[in-house]
Amino acid sequence: MALLDLHPRVHATKVIERCELAQGVTLLTLHAPQLASAVRPGQFVMAIPPSGESAATALAVYDISGKHASILFFVTGKRTSELAGLAPGARLDVVGALGNGFDCAGNQRDVAIVAGGVGIASVWLCAKALLARGARVRLFYGARTAELLVEAQRFADVGCELILTTDDGTRGERGFVTDALRRAAPPEAIFACGPSPMLRCVGQIANELEIPAQLSLEETFGCGVGGCWGCVVALTARSDRAPNFPPAQRGGSDVVYARVCKDGPVFLADELRW
Amino acid sequence: MTPSLATRLGKLELAYPTLMGSGCYGSGEEFAPFADLSKIGGIVLKSVTRLPRLGNPTPRLVHTPAGMLNAIGLQNPGIEWYLERELHKYKDRPCKIVGSVAGFSIDDYAYVCERLAARDEIEAVELNVSCPNVAREGETFGCDPDLTERVVAAARATTDKPLIVKLSPNVTDITAVARQAERAGADALAVVNTVRGMAIDVESWRPRLGNITGGLSGPAIRPIAVLAVYEVAQAVNIPIVGQGGIENLSDALEFFLAGATAISIGTANFTDPRIPQRIAGELQAYLARRNLGSISEIVGRANVGISTAYQYEGDEG
Repeated sequence: MALLDLHPRVHATKVIERCELAQGVTLLTLHAPQLASAVRPGQFVMAIPPSGESAATALAVYDISGKHASILFFVTGKRTSELAGLAPGARLDVVGALGNGFDCAGNQRDVAIVAGGVGIASVWLCAKALLARGARVRLFYGARTAELLVEAQRFADVGCELILTTDDGTRGERGFVTDALRRAAPPEAIFACGPSPMLRCVGQIANELEIPAQLSLEETFGCGVGGCWGCVVALTARSDRAPNFPPAQRGGSDVVYARVCKDGPVFLADELRW
Repeated sequence: MTPSLATRLGKLELAYPTLMGSGCYGSGEEFAPFADLSKIGGIVLKSVTRLPRLGNPTPRLVHTPAGMLNAIGLQNPGIEWYLERELHKYKDRPCKIVGSVAGFSIDDYAYVCERLAARDEIEAVELNVSCPNVAREGETFGCDPDLTERVVAAARATTDKPLIVKLSPNVTDITAVARQAERAGADALAVVNTVRGMAIDVESWRPRLGNITGGLSGPAIRPIAVLAVYEVAQAVNIPIVGQGGIENLSDALEFFLAGATAISIGTANFTDPRIPQRIAGELQAYLARRNLGSISEIVGRANVGISTAYQYEGDEG
């Protein structure tokens, strides 16, 4: 078997298919053989804007299949709008695969995946890896409204148990996904991606119940490769992921600022000091 | 014959006229998988201070329509830790390495400069007297010509290595600061650092940066920077590193024509890490197309002679 080339690089990809999953939610499938063979669950790419008129955009690699890799994203501004406008056949250069993804190799049999909104894009590969090693996977998935619970059925189809929530109650339980997690029977491990307030709450629940939790953080990236220190998060100084920096005192404990893009984006709940 | 892109900043010889801006290129290692470091002139390292700095709270970055606001706040491990555990990483880079010094007093600058300049891993020192993100203290030096002169003189006394002073655009007359930096012994000037800016979230009514204000970079500031280079070039006799929103060949040429001897690329690395190499290749092709032998032949050649002839007497606009 050929060795996989895991080194990040610039990949010249081609858009194979564009699909609007809901208003403002786009799935782009790219012909990207090297990227597809190198990416691990929870990793991301920096998409180079074809117009060159703005900074690159960090996007989770949603799925891989053969020579294809796909990205799923919400259109929130100029940069994502440009990407959403790419028609099949268009070229898109991406830098990747970047960051430390989820470690799916544990031996927990009963795991929870928690996704909020666009966070769903980071957890599909994770769910597949966990199911492949025989774990029971419960997906706690929350969004503002029913229409934005994109791809939920796909997770159900491969064997995930769905616990859905919406802010407006149009599908699943009304309320936050973290409330549903709190009410549920505790899992043995948690994997989560979503907005910061959600992740903070998931981290609290995990720490209270002493459940190992891997949280994929969202932060505005500059370079995406660790060069600018624009996307930092405070870690306990004893964390393995903490960069080689002298610790500083904050809130009575030693902390070190780590880069979400390079040292993460996935961190353990008990190493984070928000 | 292939035109030469080699250039000099005082004693600092660069094979390519492209520096990677401080704080934008890490140690070079982060970008090495995507860019050929042997095809760039040099990397200006992230600024280091006397004591460790945790930096500013998050969010530290905001993308705006034509550029980026940042407020990193000089996060760095402090000079002692830096010398002991960081500097060795830069030893084998295939391009020039420029250290960068920031401080909060003249003593600070001189101390850090002396400690840093004593090391072989770096070949020149940039004095960052213009960071807009440290509660205004840092920028005070670069905004006051006399203070700039004293800082540069103090740093100059500590080292023979080429000294590049990075100037702030947030001043009324950048040429006054430039002249005094030159008088104090600067070998070159980097023109300019970021422009102070702010963004507010209209839903939460809160500033979008943890530090409230930040420094704007990217194409939005390019005309400001080109003008600053043009004006400074008339005022001093030392080389200038032009910087501010350079993203392509045309942008780079503007800076050379305005009077820059080298250019520095910062935010554009965040758009596409291949940009510096592409610009170098395109510069060479541009010079060849015009039968020019070297980049130095276009420095300061902007043809501005005609404009004054069309001014009307009594026109105050």
